[in-house]
Amino acid sequence: MTPPEKVIAIEGLVKRFGSFTALDGVDLDVGRGEVHGFLGPNGSGKSTTIRVLLGLLRADGGHVELLGGDPWRDVIALHRRLAYVPGDVSLWPGLSGGQAIDLLGNLRGGLDRARRDRLIERFELDPTKRGRQYSKGNRQKVAIVAALSSDAELLILDEPTSGLDPLMEAVFQDEIAAVKDEGRTVLLSSHILTEVEALADRVSIIRQGRISQTGTLAELRAQTRVTVSARLAHPPTDIASIPVLHDPHLDAHGRLTATVEPDQVNAAMAALVPHEMSQLTVSPASLEDLFLRHYDDERAS
Amino acid sequence: MGRHTEASHRREVFTGTRTLLKVALHQDRPKIAPWVGLISVLSVSSILAYRWIFPDLADRKTLAMAIGANPAMQLVFGAPRDLLTNDGFNAWRAGALGAFFAGLMAIIIVVRNTRADEDSGRAELIASGVITREARLLVAVLMATVAAVALAVVCFLLTWASGGEPHPTAVLSLTFAASALMYAGIAAVAAQLGSDARSASSIAIAVLGVSYVARGYLDSTGAEEWTRWLTPLGWLEQTYPATQNNLWPLVPAVLLAIAMVALALGLQRRRDFGLGLIATRPGPARAPGLGLPGLAVRIHRGSVITWMIGFAFLGLVFGTLAASVGDVFASNPAMGAIIASGAATAEGLRFAFVATILHIVGIVTAVMGAQVLMRVYAEETDDRVEPVLATATSRTAYLGSNVLIALASTALGMAVAGTVMGLVAGASDAGIGFGDVVRQAIVTIPAVWVLVGVSVATVGAEPSRRIAGWLVIVATFGITLLGPTFKLPDWMLGISPLYHVPNVQAPSPGWISLAGLGAVACLLYAVGFAGFRRRDVH
Ligand SMILES: Nc1ncnc2c1ncn2[C@@H]1O[C@H](COP(=O)(O)OP(=O)(O)O)[C@@H](O)[C@H]1O
Ligand SMILES: [Mg+2]
Repeated sequence: MTPPEKVIAIEGLVKRFGSFTALDGVDLDVGRGEVHGFLGPNGSGKSTTIRVLLGLLRADGGHVELLGGDPWRDVIALHRRLAYVPGDVSLWPGLSGGQAIDLLGNLRGGLDRARRDRLIERFELDPTKRGRQYSKGNRQKVAIVAALSSDAELLILDEPTSGLDPLMEAVFQDEIAAVKDEGRTVLLSSHILTEVEALADRVSIIRQGRISQTGTLAELRAQTRVTVSARLAHPPTDIASIPVLHDPHLDAHGRLTATVEPDQVNAAMAALVPHEMSQLTVSPASLEDLFLRHYDDERAS
Repeated sequence: MGRHTEASHRREVFTGTRTLLKVALHQDRPKIAPWVGLISVLSVSSILAYRWIFPDLADRKTLAMAIGANPAMQLVFGAPRDLLTNDGFNAWRAGALGAFFAGLMAIIIVVRNTRADEDSGRAELIASGVITREARLLVAVLMATVAAVALAVVCFLLTWASGGEPHPTAVLSLTFAASALMYAGIAAVAAQLGSDARSASSIAIAVLGVSYVARGYLDSTGAEEWTRWLTPLGWLEQTYPATQNNLWPLVPAVLLAIAMVALALGLQRRRDFGLGLIATRPGPARAPGLGLPGLAVRIHRGSVITWMIGFAFLGLVFGTLAASVGDVFASNPAMGAIIASGAATAEGLRFAFVATILHIVGIVTAVMGAQVLMRVYAEETDDRVEPVLATATSRTAYLGSNVLIALASTALGMAVAGTVMGLVAGASDAGIGFGDVVRQAIVTIPAVWVLVGVSVATVGAEPSRRIAGWLVIVATFGITLLGPTFKLPDWMLGISPLYHVPNVQAPSPGWISLAGLGAVACLLYAVGFAGFRRRDVH
């Protein structure tokens, strides 16, 4: 089997702003037809990576390939095939939302009228308001409708739903699922974990300008410590003496909580058996745990 | 309402004012300081330059005669009262212009701290704090007041230190402060009317511009004394620093400021946060044919139309002026020769004067062109360029669509002003031909494009240097209008692109220099476009 075609292939991307290194060797691969979650704490370099992909910023080092072309050189040809939702949507004060949608569509090389009208309806958008009369959420909806009205093969979305209410969030997830069914590719930068969990085939986590983890959610979970909780009839005097347990905590009633490397669960059980466990639970890392761990490492470092 | 509640209400109005004022002043100090500095330099430089260039009485008398006979100079700087003393010269050269820039400073401060903050959402953070609706407007006005006082103090001290007499210098400095106060009040009202920051400042700056030109017209045509009271800037003129040193005309100025602020507070109670009293109408739901040219037109349309009305007005004022200078020259041909060196006939003199006036129009159109380019950069920092460049739009096309607007609007501005001027002047019996005026306006355009080119080059290639776009206009203004007065050598006068504009009535107009201007312009645009293709866009 040949590996699936890469829509985005980034290797060792470096971007500096003056003396500050915003991207310090980013590697990112997105295959065709994939919804790729792009996660990371604020200021970790998500938007910068996306701007390099759009040819807005010039890379200082590394290799970047987008839809088989060079994003800095082949701007026009590549941009006909992609649609973008920026992180900070700012609309033209004199243009209505409907005009802005049509403008961006026309500049891309046309948009699907029927789809546009359907999306405006679904997102409950009033297209006659002027730029500055929209709330943040509604400005984002204008950008989302403009991007989804196209039949671009690649959607690049930079935190597209950070201002949407839960109802609109559901509509958005629904629409992205439809895009995915059509075999189109999506790069989705997001902080909304349920959204990523629902939509993403694979995720990459960036921190301090480097990708720290990449893979399917199942793979990431497999690399993350499991939480163990049990009641011990004969708790040890020094809980820290059991080396397979990380961050162990023992309360006055003999209840132990700790985390364990995924491949050390068996060893942990063996170590705990002499202390007579009851009420045992072993739970895989939740998505929150997973991200908090990655985000926290940054603070620790 | 009981006395207690009334008093407590009054106290409430000021809740948060102090805190906010402190924070806002801290924020704005670096933006206010250059204004205070530049206006003070205007005054200081005329004190220093005068002694250096006109050391003896004979020189000063020649100067007084030349200026007294030159309506163009009076249009821009006001009527001279006494050009034989250092302070009298300063009052003339810095008086009207300083008052203009002090007013502009106040407008920018007030609009920035009211509507611009509302547009950006920053004010929402403030408004949600423990603070009254009134406090934000009051803080903006108080900031302009602080700036006005700072200007008066700094300008007085520096001018005095450079050799100005204390009394006239104090009067002049206070005049600047009074202008800042008046236009702060006018801006406070404009901030309630406009539907956003841009339209609010347009309204206030239009009032300032109209009163400046109206004052200039009245000064240069030697209108009756009472007409000086028709414009707020005319009131300030009545202080006559160095000759009469009146302070009482500043009383109505301060009263006007107070009345305007009171009116603004009243209007503010009636408007919604983030919206002006002039409501925004809903727009069309779709725009099937809207593309890049349409976008550029829509971005600049509002301000360009306002400018065009201004150019028609300028043409009218300058045309009337050109028609009336014939009499002045007839009575004093020697003076005409100073203004229009080389022109032999009376007609030639008058036409040289028309060409000079068109230089002033050219400088004003260059301001508009630079503003178009600065707006392009503002679009970028407001995150509106990014989504456009993420479509199949090349950077060249995006910048090009905007540069085209800058070129077309400056050309149109010259044409409008030239046509109106030609019509008015041609209709009189001053012997100025309509066609010649229009042709002269047209040949001024390439020089304007060179000036605008500096803004294209910097905004395109290196936006952090975009201030150069303004500096080159200020320098051209200085060289064109004051260079001859200060007896600058030809090579220095030649730095101004306007110096190379041919005279269409001359037997052999310098068409070559026109080509030279075109070449310089092309170079600047090439730098701008090449740079824009190469740099990061944020
Ligand atoms: N134009 C710029 N100049 C200087 N620093 C920048 C610029 N753009 C982004 N940065 C810095 O680069 C880092 C990454 O920013 P960004 O990619 O926007 O992060 P995020 O992951 O939140 O989208 C941040 O520290 C930010 O301050
Ligand atoms: Mg971001």
